[in-house]
Order: sequence, then C-alpha cells, then structure tokens
Amino acid sequence: MKNNKTKDFIIWTILAIVLGLFCSFVFLPMLDVNPITAVSIMFKDTFSDTFTIGNIFIKTAPLILTGLAFAFTYKANLYNIGAQGQFYTGCICASAASLALGGKLPGVLVILIAMICSMLGGAMVGFIIGFLKARFNANEFLISMMSTYVITFMMQLLLRTVLQESKHEYLKTDYLDSSTWLPKIIPGTSVSFGIVIAVIAAVGCWFLLYKTSIGYRIRVTGMNQEAARMSGINPKNQYMIAFAISGAIAGLAGLVEVNGMQHMLLTGFDTDIGSYGIGIAILANAHPLGVIPAALLFGFLQVGGTVLGHASDAPASVIDLMQGFVMLFVLMSFFFRRKIELRRLKQQKIAGEEAV
Amino acid sequence: MGTPAIELKNITKRFAKVLANDNVSMTIGEGEVVALLGENGAGKSTIMKILYGLYHATSGKIFIDGQEKVITNPKEAMSLGISMIQQHFSLVPAHTVTENIILGNCKGKIDYKAKEKEVQELADYYHFDVPAGEYVKNLTVGTQQKVEILKALYLKARILIMDEPTAVLTPQESETLMQFIRDYVAKGNSVVFITHKMKEVIEVSDRIIVMRNGRVCGQIEKDEVATIDEATLAYKMIGHDLDELQMPGEEDYSKRKKRVVVEHVSIQPKDQVALLSDISFDIHEGEVFGFAGVSGNGQQELCEALYGARKLTSGKIMLDEEDISTLSVKERIKRGMGYVASDRYRYGMVADMSLSENMLLKASYLSRWIKHGIINWKKVDEDTETAIKDYTIKAPDHMISAGSLSGGNQQKVVVAREVDMGDSMIIFDQPTRGLDLGAINYVHKTILREKEQGKSILLVSTELSEIFSLSDRIAVLYKGKIMGIYKNTELTTEKIGLLMAGVDEKEEKHHEK
Repeated sequence: MKNNKTKDFIIWTILAIVLGLFCSFVFLPMLDVNPITAVSIMFKDTFSDTFTIGNIFIKTAPLILTGLAFAFTYKANLYNIGAQGQFYTGCICASAASLALGGKLPGVLVILIAMICSMLGGAMVGFIIGFLKARFNANEFLISMMSTYVITFMMQLLLRTVLQESKHEYLKTDYLDSSTWLPKIIPGTSVSFGIVIAVIAAVGCWFLLYKTSIGYRIRVTGMNQEAARMSGINPKNQYMIAFAISGAIAGLAGLVEVNGMQHMLLTGFDTDIGSYGIGIAILANAHPLGVIPAALLFGFLQVGGTVLGHASDAPASVIDLMQGFVMLFVLMSFFFRRKIELRRLKQQKIAGEEAV
Repeated sequence: MGTPAIELKNITKRFAKVLANDNVSMTIGEGEVVALLGENGAGKSTIMKILYGLYHATSGKIFIDGQEKVITNPKEAMSLGISMIQQHFSLVPAHTVTENIILGNCKGKIDYKAKEKEVQELADYYHFDVPAGEYVKNLTVGTQQKVEILKALYLKARILIMDEPTAVLTPQESETLMQFIRDYVAKGNSVVFITHKMKEVIEVSDRIIVMRNGRVCGQIEKDEVATIDEATLAYKMIGHDLDELQMPGEEDYSKRKKRVVVEHVSIQPKDQVALLSDISFDIHEGEVFGFAGVSGNGQQELCEALYGARKLTSGKIMLDEEDISTLSVKERIKRGMGYVASDRYRYGMVADMSLSENMLLKASYLSRWIKHGIINWKKVDEDTETAIKDYTIKAPDHMISAGSLSGGNQQKVVVAREVDMGDSMIIFDQPTRGLDLGAINYVHKTILREKEQGKSILLVSTELSEIFSLSDRIAVLYKGKIMGIYKNTELTTEKIGLLMAGVDEKEEKHHEK
C-alpha cells in the first residue's frame, strides 16, 4: 500500500508539472512568442553549455535548503513562513565571520566557523519563533512572517554601519577574502561546494526525521499532539526544537549564497528564496529527499526562464508564470490523489467487510 | 391519544462497523415530554439525529402524524415542525439575537426593526428574558440556549429535540428551562429530552425511554414516572446482564505489598466544581482494582492524574514506595506505568503512523529501542511483528498505518504496547469500549495474565459485568468522589446501582427508617 502511495505521488506530480508547463506555454503567444520555439530554446540553450547547466545547480543549492526549512517544521504541523529572514540572518552571520577572520586563519577553518555561525544565527531566530509559540501560544505563521521584515531591516542597518564596505558608497560589504570562498567543484562553471552541502543537509534531515528519536518525537507531535503529550513528549519543546533546526537549515543557505556565490553581502538579493522554499516543500510533499528534485526543477525553471528572456522577447516574468502554473497543478494533483486514495481505501474496506 | 405526533419504526443505523441503533422503535405523542435516557454512546443522539435528518437510517421508517415521511436533511425536518437543539450551539457570536434567529429564513431586503420586534414578542410570549438587539457574544450560555430555542420556535417547531440541554447550565438556568418545557408542552407541543442525568428526567418527563447499546431497553410509562426512584433507573440504564459472572477467587491481597498508594488526591480547577475530591485507595501486588460509575464522574481525570497528565491540587501518589506526585508523564513511563486511555484514537495512537512507529510511541525517551538517539528500526519492527502474532492482530505487516486497522485491532495494538511498557502498574480506562466480543475476551484475558505477573492493575469501566468479572476490589466514583471501596463479593447489583446513582448507604438506611 505504501508503494502504491509513493507511485501515485510521483506519477501525479510529474503529470502536474508537465500540465503546468504546458499551460504556461499556452500564454506565450499573447506575448508574441512562439511557444514551440520557446520550449526548444529553453531546453536547447539551457543544456547547450556546461556553464548554464552549472547555473542550475547554483540556483538549486540554496533552494534545497529553504525548501528543507519549510518541510522540517511542516512535519511538526508548524508553518515556518520566515525562512527568508532566517536565510538573511545566516547571510549576515556568515559574511561577518568571514570578513572578521578571512585571511587571518586558514580558509577551511574560517568557512567552518562561518558555517556554524550562520546555522546558529538562523537557529536562534527559529528558536525565538518556536519559543513564542510554545510560551504564549502565538501564531507561528504570523511571527515567522513578520520576523523576516525585522531581519531585512536589521540587515540594512548593519550594511549602513558596521558591515558597510570600506569605501562607504553602496549598501554592501567588502569582498570576502578569497580563501573563505567555497571551493568550485565543476571546472568551467561557478558551481561551488554549496550544492554538496545542500544535498548532505537534505539527507541529514531525512535521517534526523526518520531514524532518530528527536525526529520521531517531532513527527509524533505533528501528527497527534495529544498522543504525544500522553507519551511523555512535551509538544512545546518539540515546537522549539523543530523551529530551531528549521532556522539552522535556512541559515545554512545564507552561507551557501554568501561564501559560495556572492562572495559579499549586499542589500535586497534573493528576495524570493524563502517563498520559493515553501513551494518546493509543497511540491515535494514535505519529504526531505523529495526536496532535491523539486528544487532542481525550480532551479531549472529559473535558469531556463532567464535564457528564454535573453533569446526571445519574452519578459523575465515568464519564469513566475511557469512556476505559478506548476504549483497550481501540483496542488490540484494533491486533491485528485486524495480522492483516488480514498476510493481505494473504500474498496479495501468493502472487500474486508465482505470477507468477514 | 390517537395517532402519535411521531412514530419511529424499527430504525437501524450502522456506521461502518458500529451498530449505533439496532431496531429502535418509539413514539412521541402530542403534548408530551419524552426523556431519552442512556449512557454515553447508548445511541440516544443518533436516533434523534436520524429524526432530524442529520443522519440517514440504514433501515426503518419514520411516520409523522401517521404518514410515512423520508427526512433527508434538517431543512425538511424543520418544515415538518421538528427542530433539534444540539449540545454545541450553532450561533454566530458576532451577530445580534435577531440576526441569528432570522438567519437563513429571510429573503431580499430585511426590515430589521420589524424583525426585531417580532423576535422580542416571541421571546416575551415564552417569558424569555432575551434582548433581541443584543450581540450573541455578550450573552450567558443559558441565554444563548434560549436564543437557540427561539430559533426553533420562530420556525414554528412543534417538536423540540434537546440534546443534553442542561449540561452547560447552572441549576437556576436549568430551572427556567424546565419551566419553559412545561409551558411549551401545555400548548400542545412535544419535547424530546436527551440526557443521562436521572434527576431532571424524573422531574420533567411524562414518559422515559431508556436506551442501552443502541437498543431501547425499557420504557417507564406516565403513571410510573412519579413513583420511580433513581436507583431503579440507573439499574435499567446500566443493564442487568450481570448474572453470568465468574467472580475472581477470594484471594486475600492485604498481606501482599502495596504497589500503588493514592492519598487524598483532589483536583479543583479555579472557580469550578472539583473534578476529583479526596480520593484515597491502594492497589496491592497482583490485584485488579476496579472503578465503577456512570461515565463522566471523574474516571478519566483520575486516570490522567495517576499517569501524570493532570496536575493534582492536593494529595499524594506513591508507586513502589516512591512519591511520584510531581513527576512528569515521561518519568512515570520510565517507572513502568502503562495507560490504555479510553479515547485511544486521540490519546493512544497516531493514526497516520505505521504499527512499528506506534509501538515506539511511549518509548521515545527509553533506551530499549534507541541507542545514542538513533532508533533501531529493525528491532522495533521485529518486536512489532511479535506483538502482531502474540495478540493475533489482523494486520498484514508492521508497515501498515494504525488508522487503517479496525477498532478492535487498534485497541490490541495499544494494549500490547501498554502491557509491554507497564512493568509495575497498568491503567485500563474502558479498555473494551466499542470492541467486538472476540476482542473484549482477548483484552480481559490479557488483564488477568498481567495480574498473574504481579502487576497492579487499575480498571475503569462503565460495564458492570466487566468490573465484576475482573476486579478483586471495587470502588464506585460519583461526582469525583469515592462512594466506597468494597471487596468484589461484598457487592450486589442493587447496591452498586445505588452507589452509582450517588445514593449513600447511610442515607439509604435513613430512608428505610
């Protein structure tokens, strides 16, 4: 039965993605773009050279992490809408640590410290949200969302003051010392070690959720809080733990972006990474390993959309159109899948009753 | 009396596998108050919800004024003059009384002034102190109930069904309600009163229908109502299939060591009635201590207090000579307490998780299956497979989700786990509720087997036969108090019936004089 479920999920999701893409291409003629050429451009140009293919992985790495962040709290039946803020916190911590220590200590060590800092920073923000939820029964949805605004402005403040570049011209930091950059792993592209970190994080999340007692308790709390309470598991503690871990994962995305891609911190970058994470997690049905292909798809759509924009007259917003349609269809597929599952259960039950 | 206003004939209602109503027939006459008496889950609400069109009978017929009718939804019921007041009100708090009452019954442009006047007149006619222009959220629960009743009256209901109407009311509010019921039936209408409180039944009803296990098991006619006493009613409600009991042996446990000692335990929420007051008892090694009583008299609170899920206001709980009164559930699990909760679906299992995951539920802090925080799933799976075999749980494997099993098999999973976890003491709260005979038998055997191993067992049940056939000593709970602790052989059905109705022995003797 479990196999049936997974099979259903994969088939329906792929179907939904294809339909979603198809629908978004139907709109292209309105923008005077021939959909068939658009498709061929998107696939041909994206996969024509290693550099562009590499870009997909670059885009994918942080998306995996923010997707994981949402998926993780989702398992505790909580909603972390604030991955964006935790991501920025991670960025701030990673860049601050790298700027302070870069060049003074061996690069690997600095990266490790920056990594720990970014995760701790994100975890702290997450923990506060979880704490407010546990202590005051605050709505975690709203708090996590609002925390993003607070942190965004705090980042602005820091970029105007202590973290601002030596020239004091723009709202950005100095370039990080090149020893603190994440090493490139594919020659001829800018793909950094970040993608490896992201994949390891996904596997780690899966292990944590399904193989350890910490994850087990989080899942029990998410599925039946009352039963958890009756089993000696304090749901409030689980809120805080789940949110802290979720925040740490989102914070790690900050390191991947700052030390792996931007090599500095600047204002207003990757503003959608948190919300994409939510979409990715939903696409993956909140399964940590499912987040990897889902993030790859989003990464591909972003790169493909940019390529399309360059090669034709299609505006850049076409990417959003495609992502929107894919999400819409995936959500609809949930509904159909549920219906099919219910029908199957009913048939099983009838069969069972007749057997009695 | 001529044709009764309503006649239900041979109504049977089946929910998936549960038989909620089994061949129920009853009549409701004009100008009559009929009380439907029975324990929780006896099928009282179900039969009335069928009449109101909320549920559809699996088989059976409904006659209104002698004509057969098919009622498919509440709207149709209302057009036939039948209205039901649910236990939980269906009012919009942010709307006024008038708006709530005309909701769904008005079209086009609304003349609020005229409507408000109309509603106020209706309220005054029935001597209801209800301000028609006030917002519902500002009203007391008692007044809100009146609004619910007005809603029905506004639609010209002539048969009013009330589901546990006094459950939320103060004594004074109940009194006004009774007054209204008398007024209302005096005008030729009928009232059906669903309740498990015996006192008010005797007070207001013309006729009493007693239900048990989905069947009508007794009727008290008009002329008998005045003379009947609570004990007889309780006896009827709980059942008299107590003859075929196999009492446990008359072993004297007093010489064996006391494993569980409960001293003066009280739970008193602020500004409310005490849930438990001054509970003291002890359970010896290898003893089954039974708690009898009509459900809702503090049984669940007592179990939760013992298990650490509820804070005590005062008192002490000892397990194997250790004071555990302030320990958390987690700590009590570590000390070998097991708890089969009465509502397994809510407290005892995670429906969407596999059987293995459910077996692990209470052990997430124990080292049995977990080393350094990593779960040894292989071992959990093996142990689950063993439990499936030992308890003959009908499940294909350990991977299937607990929710997809039948109720009896779910309970077996829970029992298997708790018996396993509870090395020193196991609490069984209504362990056989809703199970089929085979599963009941199995649970009973398990309880006796664990007793043999020297565990202390606390058994809560509303089934007297279960209490009698398993317990060594029996206590009766009534309104959070222990009415007395007796050896199994000391009690007769009459005596326990009286105790369950809250009639004290001394009082009883007093009456006899």
